Formats: sequence, C-alpha cells, structure tokens
Amino acid sequence: MQPRRQPPPAPRSGPGNPRPTAPLLALLLLLAPVVAPAGSRSAEDPAQPEDAGVPRRLLQQAARAALHFFNFRAGSPSALRVLAEVQEGRAWINPKEGCKVDVVFSTERYKPESLLQEGEGRLGKCSARVVFKNQKPRPAINVTCTRLIEKKKRQQEDYLLYKQMKQLKNPLEIVSIPDNHGHIDPYLRPIWDLAFLGSSYVMWEMTTQVSHYYLAQLTSVRQWKTNDDTIDFDYTVLLHELSTQEIIPCHIHLVWYPGKPLKVKYHCQELQTPEEASGTEEGSAVPTELSNF
Amino acid sequence: MQGTPAGGTRPGPSPMDRQTLLVFSLILASALGQMNFTGDQVLRVLAKDEKQLSLLRDLEGLKPQKVDFWRGPARPSLPVDMRVPFSELKYIKAYLESHGLAYSIMIKDIQVLLDEEREAMAKSRRLERSTSSFSYSSYHTLEEIYSWIDNFVTEHSDIVSKIQIGNSFENRSILVLKFSTGGSRHPAIWIDTGIHSREWITHATGIWTANKIVSDYGKDRVLTDILKAMDIFIELVTNPDGFAFTHSMNRLWRKNKSIRPGIFCIGVDLNRNWKSGFGGNGSNSNPCSETYHGPSPQSEPEVAAIVNFITAHGNFKALISIHSYSQMLMYPYGRSLEPVSNQRELYDLAKDAVEALYKVHGIEYFFGSISTTLYVASGITVDWAYDSGIKYAFSFELRDTGRYGFLLPATQIIPTAQETWMALRTIMEHTLNHPY
Repeated sequence: MQPRRQPPPAPRSGPGNPRPTAPLLALLLLLAPVVAPAGSRSAEDPAQPEDAGVPRRLLQQAARAALHFFNFRAGSPSALRVLAEVQEGRAWINPKEGCKVDVVFSTERYKPESLLQEGEGRLGKCSARVVFKNQKPRPAINVTCTRLIEKKKRQQEDYLLYKQMKQLKNPLEIVSIPDNHGHIDPYLRPIWDLAFLGSSYVMWEMTTQVSHYYLAQLTSVRQWKTNDDTIDFDYTVLLHELSTQEIIPCHIHLVWYPGKPLKVKYHCQELQTPEEASGTEEGSAVPTELSNF
Repeated sequence: MQGTPAGGTRPGPSPMDRQTLLVFSLILASALGQMNFTGDQVLRVLAKDEKQLSLLRDLEGLKPQKVDFWRGPARPSLPVDMRVPFSELKYIKAYLESHGLAYSIMIKDIQVLLDEEREAMAKSRRLERSTSSFSYSSYHTLEEIYSWIDNFVTEHSDIVSKIQIGNSFENRSILVLKFSTGGSRHPAIWIDTGIHSREWITHATGIWTANKIVSDYGKDRVLTDILKAMDIFIELVTNPDGFAFTHSMNRLWRKNKSIRPGIFCIGVDLNRNWKSGFGGNGSNSNPCSETYHGPSPQSEPEVAAIVNFITAHGNFKALISIHSYSQMLMYPYGRSLEPVSNQRELYDLAKDAVEALYKVHGIEYFFGSISTTLYVASGITVDWAYDSGIKYAFSFELRDTGRYGFLLPATQIIPTAQETWMALRTIMEHTLNHPY
C-alpha cells in the first residue's frame, strides 16, 4: 500500500492571494477506491481528517470540467449528462506547472423527465484525464464515457427538440429560466437544454484549477431563423463561480443542427472594480473573453 | 345610480363606502371579463345653481348613455360624481366647459385603480390569517415571513417569543425567534438562515424547522429534553434587505445593501464581516466583489446585531449557520487549514449528523472543516463563534450540488428541511449531553 502524502493546500482563495511556495517538484497523491460509509464523505483515516477534502474536491471539479467538455463535444441537447458520483481518481500537483487529474465517475441524464428514458437511475460511466496548466483556463481534457442512450434514440430526441425550437415564436419573450422559484415550464425545456449545451462550452473554456462554474439561470433569449434551417440561438446566462461566489453574465450565440457539431461564440462580463463604470455588453461576434479575477 | 331625493340629509352608506362598493362591483365586472375601464375617468362637478343641475340631469338622459353617475345631481351645493367612459371624455368635457360647469378629475384612470386594488386584495390574501394555512412548501416574501412570525408567536406563546435584535441598513427589523420552556439564561443554541439572501432554501428550511420544534415538543423525547435544559434561537431572515432585493430586483443577490459614500458598488458579504481573521484569504477588499468583507469587522448592522446579542447573552453553547448550496456540513476554521482543538470531536459529530441526514432521503453530504471541504474563507460567522468560546460551531450548505443551485425548486423544500432537521437534532443532542 502506497503511503499517503499530504498535498500542498490548493490555491482556492480569492483573487490576489499568493500562491503556495512549497519548493516541491511533483507530488503523487494516490487514493484508494472511494467506498465511503453510506452518507458520509470524508477521509477514510479519521486520524488525518484535515487532508480529506482537498483531493476529493479536486476530483469532483475535474469530473465536472470533463463533463462540460463531453457535453459540448457530443453536441446533443437531449443527451446531456451530469455528475452522479466520483468513484476513484488520483492527482499530480506541481505548484510550478499545474495539475493533472485522472478520474473515474458515474453520470446520469440531465433530463429528469425524458419520454424515452429507460428505467430509473440509469448510470453511465466515464473516465477522464484533465490537465490544468497553472491558473490558465481551458483545461486539456481526454474523456470517454459508456453509452447512456442508444444513438438512434438520441437522434430522435434531438430532432424532436429541434422541431420544438423551430415552432417557437420569434422573437421569444422569455423572462427567466428557471423562474425565481426554480421552476421550468415543460414547454420551455428545449430552450433550456440547448442553452445548457452552449453554456457547457463556455464553462469548459473558463474553468481553471481554482475556478469552477455552474449554470445558474437563463435570463434572456432571442432566436433567429436562418436560411439553412439551423437553429440560430442568441441568449444570456448567469454563471455562478463557486470559489469567488461571483455571478457572471455571459452573452452566448450558438448555431446548431441535429447531428452537426455545435458552433459557439460568447462574451462574458468582467468583474467590476470600484473605479470602472459598469461593464460593457458586446455582440456575439466578439471572441472569447475571460472574467478578470 | 339615482340621486337621493331633495331635502333632508341623505340616507344610505357614506360617500366613501359607496365608492368602495362601486369599486368592488367594477372589479367584479372587470374580473368576469365583461368590462374594461382603461382610460375611464371619474369627474366631480360642482353645479352652482338649479340651472346647472338640470344640465347635468340632461346628461343622464342621453341615449346611448354617456355618463354613469356615482353621485347623482341632487342639490346645487353637493358635488356630482360621474364616471365617463374614455370614448366620451372629449364630448363630456366639452359639454361641461361650454356650459361653464366647473369640474375636477377625481380618478384619472379607473382601470389602474382597479388593478391596484385587485393586487392589494390578492396580497392581503397571501398574508395568511393563521399559520395552519401557510404553505411550508412554497417560497415566501419578506412580508409573508414576518406576518407568519407574528401568527406563529401568537399561536405558540407558551414556548415561542419574538425578539428584535436590531435594524438592517435599510432599517428593516432584524427578528429572532426564541424557543424556551422558562428559566433564566439557559444555555442556548443559535441557528441562522438567510445570511446570504439568494439562498432561499435556507429561510424555507428555517421556517419549517421552527414549526417542527413546536410540533415535536412533548412528543420527541430528544427534543423535549433539549428544550427542558436549553433555549433555541432562530434568526430566519439574517439579511432582510438583501432578501427583499432578491424578490424585487435581483434574484441572485448575495450581500447586504449597505452603501458608502464614494463607493460605486453596493453591499458587504455578511459572512466575511466577522471579527475572526478579518480581511484574510478568501475575502475580498474590492467592494464590487461578492465576497467583499466591508471596511472593518462588524461594520455591518446585520452582523453587529448578532454579535451584540450573543455576547450580551453570554451563554451560547452551539451556533449553526445555514447556507446553500453544495451539500456539506462543516466546522471551523474557514480562515486557515489549522485544525481546531476539538477537531476530532467535531469530525465525529459531523459524521453522525450527516448519516442521520442521509437516512431520511438518501442525500449525501460531504463533511469536514470549511477550509478543507469547501474553500478558505476569512471573517466568517462560525470562526468568530468558535473563537468566542462556542465549541460547537457548524456551517451547513444545503441542497443541491449545482443542478439548480440557488434556484432550488420549491418541491424540494420539505424534503430538504426534513433531512436537515435530523442533522440539527443530532448536533443539539450532542450539545445537551456535553455541557461545558
């Protein structure tokens, strides 16, 4: 059994904080497969509970980043996946270079009430290698997942969603999805799924070792028709970044057709400083821009 | 509406009552979709003499009807009120002016008035008359919660009382519920919800918990023992200004609403404003940041109120601060990785609490110290509590883990509250059995 070493504290504090100065080159942190007692999730060795949270958190975040990338690459709004459970993993942390994480995790379908869902709690399994370059966004991700939905069914659902979107009134007068009470009108569900798909790309691109994003709310929607029958979808979302607790408005423009790769452009608002006027919101043609921490 | 007979005082309801009656009937008509009163006005005309009165009576006789008298032509000294449909306004006003009849506009747009009244009625319906009709599985406004508090205290005055511990920046009351079976200065347990206003599940859980306590007292052995020896204090809306703002303008507002001269951004993160490692890592000196710690420790009235209350009381043994989301149960420190002196005890207690929680609906929580489980954060409530001598200081992050985040559907309120209660009960029981 490999001795477990305590990793340096991960730099999870707010902006402007000094990096850990531990003069170490590379640290191998090996974790045994995680089979914790039901309901409790912490160190297996109670004598050292304080180092339990760091690797676990890192594995979770790596799994989520891998899923953002996976969902974007799959390009299928009806086959979105979310993290169910981290099963095992290990991390190599190099304070000078960054961090590499191998992780195995289970997933479940994002759509809770899918018409074509087969059986309850169908879980897929993924394994991923996620490499964070020190404080830089857009981690390099290699991820494979077992198939959760049969390809033909997925295509059918995508096409159904496509038709639903095409039938919606244009311009759409959407206030917020979900509404302030967390409710999503089933009729508006296709919009949400497509918005989530586009947001996955944005969230992957913005993820760093310390910054991790969740989609909080869709706040405005516009849809244009295009001649070649693609869905041309322009919208604004609010992303929630966990370590700073910031809410980041992002303007996203995506072009989608079932079975074709997704095209996304976006612009996210930067954090205000006390001296600046309020942030600018530009059109969709502007290439990627990152929130300034 | 017929005028009253000339001579003698007018019988019947007073003018105000009559107008109210009229408004109600119009609301009914409008609600039934029969009539729209947009742009209609009510004019008040003062007839100087009988000649002018008869001119007004002539209006009454016009076919098709051009006016609707609310207060008909009676005597020259009495005002005449008439509702004029929007389409007839020009004609009627010209008529009045050409005959030298002085008038004023009493109601500029009836429909607007009707809409406002209807809104007010709906609102007063929502302010329930008793807590038994209050919905525990919905999210509520600040007014609804404060109204519920008053009803709740009235209905359970044997063990519950309400204390105002201060005022928010925008001068709202800061209220605490006290659960006590008597005695003076019993050792006490503190629970706060809603310190971050966008975490709506926490207020909802707090309200359900308050009701659970009074329901189970006398029935649940553990709870009854706790209340026999200890008092419980619950602050449901720890950040009332922020909470009101999440309803009115910005659902995802986190901080309070304090404003300082020369500073462009509003609000301080109330969970970074405490006097424990203030200004350290995991808090921000940028006022525009969501984790802005404020100019100085306890600078915010919402924090100062709690500090003053707990310090003056002097006998708190446990403090639990409830947040969302992430599904975690944590203990100090947030400001550093340094373990607290009773770390082992807190670890075991958290483990037990999380297992009790899991048994209810199978929801899994992480647990550990704040800095290792969630992130480094300075100037936080539980660090201050611990440094002030409160050995059992815990912070919850309730459901979920990001699928809905802050916008947790209302259908999850009761399940969340049920499972959280089992964890709270575990912590309180341990506190009872380990006096210090």
